Formats: sequence, structure tokens, C-alpha cells
Amino acid sequence: MSVTYTTAHGDAGSLTHRVRPGIEPTKEGGRIIVEVDGRVAKIRNLKVDGRPDGFGDSREKVVAFGFDYCYWSVNPEDPQYASQDVVFQDLGTEVLSGAAKGYNICLFAYGQTGSGKTYTMLGTPVSTGMGMLYLSKGLFIREDDCTPLPSSCRIKVSFLEIYNERVRDLLKQSDQKKSYTLRVREHPEMGPYVQGLSQHVVTNYKQVIQLLEEGIANRITAATHVHEASSRSHAIFTIYYTQAILENNLPSEIASKINLVDLAGSERADPSYCKDRLTEGANINKSLVTLGIVISTLAQNSQVFSSCQSFSSSASDGGNSGVPSSPSGTSSDGGRSRRQSYIPYRDSVLTWLLKDSLGGNSRTIMVATVSPAHTSYSETMSTLRYASNAKNIINKPRVNEDANVKLIRELRDEIGRLKAMLLSFELRNFHSLNEGKEENLKELVLQNELKVGVLGGNSLVLYITSGTGLTCLWPGFLPRQDRDCI
Amino acid sequence: MADAPWVELREKFQAALALSRVELHKNPEKEPYKSKYHARALLEEVKALLGPAPEDEDDRPQAEDSLGTGDHTLGLPAELVEAEGPIALGAVRRAVIEFHLGVNHIDTEELSAGEEHLVKCLRLLRKYRMSQDCVSLYIQAQNNLGILWSEREEIESAQAYLESSEALYNQYMKEIGSPPLDPTEHFLSEEEKLAEQERSKRFEKVYTHNLYYLAQVYQHMEMFEKAAHYCHSTLKRQLEHNAYHPMEWAINAATLSQFYINKQCFMEARHCLSAANVIFGQTGKISTMEDTTEAEGDVPELYHQRKGEIARCWIKYCLTLMQNAQLSMQDNIGELDLDKQSELRALRKKELDEEESVRKKAVQFGTGELCDAISAVEEKVSYLRPLDFEEARELFLTGQHYVFEAKEFFQIDGYVTDHIEVVQDHSALFKVLAFFETDMERRCKMHKRRIAMLEPLIVDLNPQYYLLVNRQIQFEIAHAYYDMMDLKVAIADKLRDPDSHIVKKINNLNKSALKYYQLFLDSLRDPNKVFPEHIGEDVLRPAMLAKFRVARLYGKIITADPKKELENLATSLEHYKFIVDYCERHPEAAQEIEVELELSKEMVSLLPTKMERFRTKMALT
Repeated sequence: MSVTYTTAHGDAGSLTHRVRPGIEPTKEGGRIIVEVDGRVAKIRNLKVDGRPDGFGDSREKVVAFGFDYCYWSVNPEDPQYASQDVVFQDLGTEVLSGAAKGYNICLFAYGQTGSGKTYTMLGTPVSTGMGMLYLSKGLFIREDDCTPLPSSCRIKVSFLEIYNERVRDLLKQSDQKKSYTLRVREHPEMGPYVQGLSQHVVTNYKQVIQLLEEGIANRITAATHVHEASSRSHAIFTIYYTQAILENNLPSEIASKINLVDLAGSERADPSYCKDRLTEGANINKSLVTLGIVISTLAQNSQVFSSCQSFSSSASDGGNSGVPSSPSGTSSDGGRSRRQSYIPYRDSVLTWLLKDSLGGNSRTIMVATVSPAHTSYSETMSTLRYASNAKNIINKPRVNEDANVKLIRELRDEIGRLKAMLLSFELRNFHSLNEGKEENLKELVLQNELKVGVLGGNSLVLYITSGTGLTCLWPGFLPRQDRDCI
Repeated sequence: MADAPWVELREKFQAALALSRVELHKNPEKEPYKSKYHARALLEEVKALLGPAPEDEDDRPQAEDSLGTGDHTLGLPAELVEAEGPIALGAVRRAVIEFHLGVNHIDTEELSAGEEHLVKCLRLLRKYRMSQDCVSLYIQAQNNLGILWSEREEIESAQAYLESSEALYNQYMKEIGSPPLDPTEHFLSEEEKLAEQERSKRFEKVYTHNLYYLAQVYQHMEMFEKAAHYCHSTLKRQLEHNAYHPMEWAINAATLSQFYINKQCFMEARHCLSAANVIFGQTGKISTMEDTTEAEGDVPELYHQRKGEIARCWIKYCLTLMQNAQLSMQDNIGELDLDKQSELRALRKKELDEEESVRKKAVQFGTGELCDAISAVEEKVSYLRPLDFEEARELFLTGQHYVFEAKEFFQIDGYVTDHIEVVQDHSALFKVLAFFETDMERRCKMHKRRIAMLEPLIVDLNPQYYLLVNRQIQFEIAHAYYDMMDLKVAIADKLRDPDSHIVKKINNLNKSALKYYQLFLDSLRDPNKVFPEHIGEDVLRPAMLAKFRVARLYGKIITADPKKELENLATSLEHYKFIVDYCERHPEAAQEIEVELELSKEMVSLLPTKMERFRTKMALT
């Protein structure tokens, strides 16, 4: 279940799991039901003998999920407490070295509202989060806050927020009314982009932090009776990192992008467009406005299922129906063909923007944050389940592929032909050791025959009968010189 | 009841209702529930004014309901009465308040409190639930409990409530049928009460929602067919009650068609798509907007986008129908099987009769003129699998028409991946059409068309962002060249006198195929241009297949020069060897390409001997 691809290049996705830091979990008198053991997070179900709830694995008393890293950031006095520094050592370094090599990096956090995503990724107005603080520090030279960048590097940043499927620039607040009208597009050369999003050149660490704080202050956090400051929007802080280099003595550039994504609380991110929620939880959407989402989910499900049917030959693919399909729309079907149907609603703005991060030349690190309190059991379960399915989210759809049957048959024929040829040669050699002259001729014929064999699969049996008459079957076919040889 | 408090009650209630309808985003960003909390306070006041509920002996024993999971809905007491007299009136009013309090608490994420209120509401109404006064409220309270249980992921409980609502609606319509009161009417003065027509409209809307919730419940329970049926019914009822936004309805119907396509129900899919076209045509003409809060923003752009999206649904329809036909008519190497073709011809008539009479009625959208308009669209395109080139061509042309329509919106600049997907579909349409084409030269031309539309796509595409798309297209182009080469070989085979011209052509196609497989394989290299020691899981099979095909292609180059021939054989061997070696080092790869691996192994063992013979022979000449 643990997801690390440790390939020498690209395709590195890591899953990390973090137990919520900061706010005390036992606020509501809750018991701690999550424990971390090395790379495994275990969650205990206190109600295991209670009501039947019909959701398979949640009936287990303890469910374990494997991750690449697990951190316990609940109580600083705890011996296994993981501070920001520790988390950064593991993750931040990886991010930075990847960016330096020219990969696009995407670090994103997923989890229940209040479980500490914002804390991990961006920080709060008061304290900058791990993602930001450390990354910015790492990008610039550490000792001095104001040290400028080496002239070979250029760094630009942008900061946006997605709220109700609309994009807002967090660093350009000039026009409040128009702030949510940014459009998301794709450029053939530059990739997915937000039209009109401001980019800010930064030359030192302080400037980054300033911009970050400005943006955070602009974010929407909504107070409800349940959560004190749950983020109701997704936020993406992007660092564009360009290095001038010499390649084969020619000036060249390495460009990379680091996306730090703070996902909204899974529950309330978007009341009118909560597709993720639909595929994840069992919730009913009230308003018919969401009929489209329901139908598209349905169509998507049928897609997964139909591909299971049509590719049932590759048995292990897909079929375990209990697993919710991946929320990004690029479902986990092991199908060997392209998507059969088209589903208009499938991409949310977020998925669209992160397209290149979720499937392309990029490295993705997903941080799942959970609260250890028993009151959050179902949320925690759903987060962990989601996270353990994250492989599917990160997974790229497969390359289209044509049926190979024809080629395979053809090659089998050729193999048959080759075998027969070799066999007959051995026989012939045995019989006619002294008939060198005749053999020469036969070899020549054979050589031509081979070409025939290469050309069309139809002549396969001719070979065995052999004999000199063979060339007559292909009069004029071989290029001139060849015929002259004969 | 005295007049003054009654007026006060009514006013407070109306105010609470208005407040609870204030949309979340109209509240201050930091206090999204402000108006809800205000509404709640007013409702509590109304409740206090109504006074405590009389200790009705009926209510007591059912107190355990509040803990249950909706079992009581199954064991309904037999006694049903009209809601008449002051006791009933008081109970009904209290029930209305409990209902609104319940919904209010649920809206503000306080589920348990919400549940309590709703259960209380049901208890108060239990014996009046079949009355004209209460049936609508009772259904709505049950529906909201259904929603609540779904939020707790107790989907069976949700289902029980919702199915009970559905049954109650059906029973009421069968036994009584007159439009029931809307719950808000219990706090209206006589003269303000609603007209029959309005009552009916509201009640039907409640039922439409009921079906919609059931659709979701069935979906979560993975009863997909049933879920689709309920979605379909919801769409149907939106039309019947004129409660839809044309653009949205159209895109929903078009999306539903994709469900039917995946289920291979092409008649249903065609109906959805045709209806989508017709209703989409109403955009801007009809202003009835219920239940929709369409985003402001750029309306014309959205219009064109939706149009493009519906077109894409049509493309998939044509494509899948053709591919489906191909699947049912091809032999084991993907060529047309004449026996299967005639078998299917014989089956067709039976298929036709059955579907026309039974299935068509079940899904029919709209009546009268609308129905005729939809039929007119339907008649232009078949829902039956094409059995010959002519039929396939019809579908192809329809598909191609929608390709052009989709491309109007999904242009390369701004919609790179969408645009490419549409072009890939276009290419796929040509490809499946080629299956039906018997003339090999023309088939070749179809593949040529595919290549012509795919090749320019990757020229300007930055592989850093569109790696996968790039790979897909490289692979597809390579395959297309390969197919063309095969066809040319087959043509040469049939020629009485193949000349060097065609040999050259074949070799050129071979080279082009090689080039694109090589491009694909090069895309796997890391920034330092090194081929990975370990190929990622997602590209493993394609990479191996590309290697396999490259090996094969080298073996197929036609040359008269034995030296070159030997070189080609050596290169071919090298690639077969790569596959064998890789699978040895990574045993998990072997299962991905079992057959290809087996063949590669054979080739690795045979080719050296063959090459040896070549060398011997070369030495002799």
C-alpha cells in the first residue's frame, strides 16, 4: 500500500502521513485512536461491536495504513514528536533537489478540516508553515535573510485560491469584484496556466515571506460553530524556478515549478461542486444543481466497470469494486484502451491546474493529515483510505495500445519458419555434405525466401518443400540485383 | 387561538423562512451561518409561542424512535386520520416548526440535534401522514432524515427513509391524488393559501427530489442501473414540470448518454443525446429557472463550451457503436469475419422489433411536440451496430461532424489536452472505419489521414507538461505507420509484379514507425538522457511493446544487401534481447507481457543461428 517509486528519474510519488499538530486533540474529551509505528499508522475503532455500518474494513478493530513517512506532531513533549524541522528534513530536501534538476514538484496536503493541513503547508499568518518557510529558505542561501540569489537563478512566485470552482489571485487585490474571474487555460508550450495571474519576481527570502503573508491574509477562512478557522478554499502557492546553465557550451535553461497545495477541508470545500465528496463519502447532495455531478459520477463508474468487463482477460486489473474510484477522474482502471466515454464535468479547476503535477514530468508528494481524536474516527478513516488510494490519483492513465494479435501471429509464423529452416538445414547438411554447389544455390534461394517471408505471412509453408522452383512464385518481385544473383 | 399571537406567529415564521433561504455566500465570509442562526432563534420563538406539546398518549410509546435508524417507517400503525380539529392543528404546526428546526440544524452541521427535531416532526404527524394537510411535510421530513443518515455514511438507513417517502407518494397519489398543502401554508392566513396548481407543482418537486436522492443512494450502494434509472426519471420529471435550465438539462442528458454507452445501451444513449440537442436549442428561449443558480460570468463562453461538450458525447456515441460492431465482427487477427457478419444481419430484425416496442417507451423524454423534435434528431443516426461499410460510413460522418463542432470550442490554444482528445477521437473514427473498408488502398489512405492529423499535434507540445499526451500520440502514430506498412505489404503480396517502388514505400513506412517508437522510448529517458534501469509501472507495458515492435520492424526491413540485412538482424536481436534481459532482472515485468516475452525468447535463440547462416553464406559469395 505504501507508495514510493524510487526510480532514478521522474515518476517519484511519495505518500506521507502526519498526525495533526497544534490543537489539542482531546479538547472534546476525545480519546486518542491513532498511533504511529514506524511507517505505519494504526487507527482503532472504538465502536467495533456497535452498530453494523456496512463499510467493510472499518469494522476491523484496528486498521493499519502504510506510508512512506509518518509523523506524530501532537504533543511536543512526546518522545516521538516530529517538529517542522524533522518533517522538512525528509520532504523539503527531496523537493528542492528535484526542482534543481528540473522537475515539477507538487506537494499537497489532504485531510479533514482542522487536522492541520494549512499548518503543514503554508502556515498561518502568525507562523509560516513548513512547506513555505523551509522551501523558501532552501531556495535562497540560508545564512542571511537578505542574501540575493545567484545571478544564474530567477525565482517568481504566484499565489492563488480556488473557492467554489473560481480562481482568485491572492497577491493582486486591486479589484475585489473581479477577483474571482480568472480563467484556467492550457498553453501548448507553457502548460496549464491561470490567465491574468500575477507573478512576482523575488530576489530574497524576506520577499517571499512577505508575499506569502499578504496572500494568507487574503484567504478566506470561515468561522463556524464546529471549526474555528477551517479553510474553505484550496490555495496554491507556486514557485517558478529558472536556472541558467551551459549545456554543451550553449546557454540553456532549466525551468521547474514547485506547487504547494493546501487543499480545503474535504467536507466543505465547495457546497455546489463537491465531486470529491461524492465519490468519497456516501453523502446525498440536496439540490438538483448537483444532478450533473451525480450523473457524471455514474457515467464514470460505468466506465470503470465496463473496462473491467472488456479487459477481464487481464484478471487482476481494477475490479475490486469496494474501492471508491479515484476522485480526480483519471480512474484506476487497468484498462488497456483509452477512455470510452466523455464526461463533461470530470475536471475540477484544481485537477485541471495540477494536471502536469498529477501526471507528467513531475514528482508528487502527498501529505495526509489526520486528527488522532476518536471523535474524528470516520473522517480519519476516510482520509487514510483516500490517501492509501492516492496512488491511483497520482497514477497516469495508460498509453493507448493497439491489439498486438496480428503481430504476434505473424511472428509465431516466422518463428515456425525459422525453426523449420534450421531443422531442414541441419538435415540437408547431414545428407549432402559433399554437395557444396547445390547447397550454395539453396542458400541463395533461401535468402530470397526469407525476404518473401518477411514480406508476407502467407508463404509460410512453401519453405519446407524447398527446392529451386520457389523463385517462380515471386517473379519480378525482388529488386533487380537480387534476381541477377540468382 | 387569539388573533394577535397568530399574526405574530405567522410573521416570525415567514421571517425565519426568508432568513433560512439566504444563501451561504451572502453571509459575511467569516460567518457563513449567520442568517441560519438568526432563523433558528426565530423558529425557537415560534415554538415557544405555540406552547408545549400536549402529552398525547400516542406519542409516548414511540419515544424510542429517536434512537432508531428509521425502523418505524416500516412498521407504520394502521390508524390513519385526517388532520382536523384544534389538537391536530396544533400538532401539525408544531411539526412544521420541528421540521424547519431540523433542517436548520443539519444545515449548520449539527446533525444529532437536527435528527431529533425531524424525528419529533414525524412522530407528531404519524397518524396524519396520508392526509392532504400533512403528506408533503411527512415526505420532506423523511427525505431530510435520509440525507442526514447519508451524511453519517449509514446508507441503508437513508435508503429506508427515502424508499418510504417514495412509497407514501405513490400511495397518496393512488388513493387520494388531490394536490396536498405545502408545509408553509400552515402558517399562512386563509386568503394567502396556495392555489391547487401551485400546490401540485410544489408537491411534484418534492417527489422529484425524492427520486434524485434515491438515485444517489443507489449509486452509493453500487446499484448503478437503478441509480441511472432514477437519474433518468429525475431528468424526465424536470421536463414534465418545466423545471429545468435548458443548458444544464442538456449537458446532464448528454452525460447520462455516456453511462448508457458504457452499458452498450445505444438506443437509450441516442435518445439522451437527441434530447440534449433539442433542449440545448432552447437555451436563451426559455427563462424558467428552478433550482438553478447558474454562475454569472461569461455566458456565451459557457454556451460554446457546453455545445462542444455535447458534441464530444456524440463523438463517443458514434465511435463506441462502430468499435462495438468491429468487436463483434472481427476474427482473431482483427479482420472482418464474414460469417459473423451474416449472423449479425440475421439477428438484426429480431433486435429491432424488441427494442422498438419495449425499451423505447421506457426512456421516452417529453411528450407531443418535444417528443417529435427528439425523434427527428434520432432518425438521422442509427443506434444499431453498423454491419457494413455503408452503415459505418453514416456513423463516421455523424461523428466527424461533431468532431468539427467540438473543435470550434476546444482549440489547441487554451484547451490543449481537450483538443488533442478530440483529434484522437477523430483518428479513432478513421481507424474503425478502415476496419469496414475492404479496399486496401483506401484503407491505407485512412491511416494516412490519421497520421496527417496527429503528427502536427506534437510539434509544438512541450513534453514537460504534456508528457503523457505526447507519448500517446507517438505511440498512436507509430502504430498507424505500422498498420500502413502491413497494408502495403499485403498489397504487394497480391500484386503480380511488385516493383522496387512499393518496396521503397514499405521501407519508408517501416522507418517512420521506427522513428515514432524510438521517440516514445526516448521520452522515458531521464534528463541526462539515460534510459532508466527500472521502468515505471505505468509505462512498463507500452515500453516493452515498443521495444518488441522495434525489434520486429528491424526484422521486416527489406534489403538486397546481405550486409545490411545482417545489421538489421543484429539490431532486431538486440531489442528482443533487451526485453528478455529486462524481464530477467525484473520478474514482475514478465507478467505484463507474457506472450511477447515468450516470442522474444524464441527469437533470441533463433536469430543468432540465422545470422550465422548469413555470415557463412556471405563468406561463400
